[in-house]
Amino acid sequence: MSLVNYATREITCKIVYYGPGRSGKTTNLHYIYGQVPGDRKGQMVSLATQTDRTLFFDFLPIDLGTISGFTTRFQLYTVPGQVYYQTTRKLVLQGADGVVFVADSQARQLEENIESMQDLHANLAEQGVDARTMPLVIQYNKQDLPSEMVTSVVELDEALNFRGVPSFAADALHGPGVFETLRGISEQVLRRLSTGSQGR
Amino acid sequence: MIRHSVMVGWADAPVKRYVDDARLQLSVLMHPSGQVLAQHGFQRKLDVQTACALSAAINATAVQLGLLIDGAPFTDLHYAGTLRQLYLAQIPIATGTLVLLSVFDEESSLGIVQLYLDELRSTLATTAPAEQPDSPPALAEDFERELNTNLAALFGRG
Repeated sequence: MSLVNYATREITCKIVYYGPGRSGKTTNLHYIYGQVPGDRKGQMVSLATQTDRTLFFDFLPIDLGTISGFTTRFQLYTVPGQVYYQTTRKLVLQGADGVVFVADSQARQLEENIESMQDLHANLAEQGVDARTMPLVIQYNKQDLPSEMVTSVVELDEALNFRGVPSFAADALHGPGVFETLRGISEQVLRRLSTGSQGR
Repeated sequence: MIRHSVMVGWADAPVKRYVDDARLQLSVLMHPSGQVLAQHGFQRKLDVQTACALSAAINATAVQLGLLIDGAPFTDLHYAGTLRQLYLAQIPIATGTLVLLSVFDEESSLGIVQLYLDELRSTLATTAPAEQPDSPPALAEDFERELNTNLAALFGRG
């Protein structure tokens, strides 16, 4: 649910990084947090377990600057990827304006990626959201690993990207693909605001 | 359901009056998804967003915990700190339920907060729009150039 305040010329959008456990959702936010200047970001909050796995969510607010005369802010969230945190994922997904699906490119994780994508669609449907209208981009993370360990982008696209949404190869730990992914979802979310579509 | 909520300031004045009457330090009215609707007391807008995200999480957890233990959501939560107290409350309006975070110190008390909170609930029940207005386009269609410039600047690529 994007909030548009015409009086103060402000727009706030919620973007959720979704995907299986250990795919690199939190790593994406850490990289963004490290790159964005201090006056353009809030505190990064991580509600994590003692072993650093996301328990509830990570949260990072960033100030995108002025677009079409509106001060534009993005609230970036991650969900916990582990299967047993289903309730939490639903709560964090509530009111999302866009989703970044972070897939783990390791060949042995393909099944987890597919299950997580199905879980995303099921949770959106449960909230009355037509998944086909939800702005979505897919990031194939860990493409920096040795080629014998990873599934190629083409194969991952075949397995996961049945909507044909923008997809990005990435190495979130070191940065390649992180910026492109954020730009991709930003464009989609803001495009809806430029057309006034409700997307229900 | 995804909507672009157009803020028309219906919440600003009632929340400001509530803050003054209940002698609060901070108060934020938000959508349960963590989007801020009105706030008084925070200096930095990015801090407001963080407070909303965490408050929404507490509220969501309390609702689920209440359902698990009591069969009904826990709607209001109170934390009594030594220096500051926190009160997290749900506010029903025609289109759903909002969440209100209130922070106060020895200048106020739980009783005063609850008293004026009831008043705020009544006010918002009448001032909140019954239906979301249709969202007109917010951004110009050629927004991409500004988006790309801003993102590049944000990532030190400008």
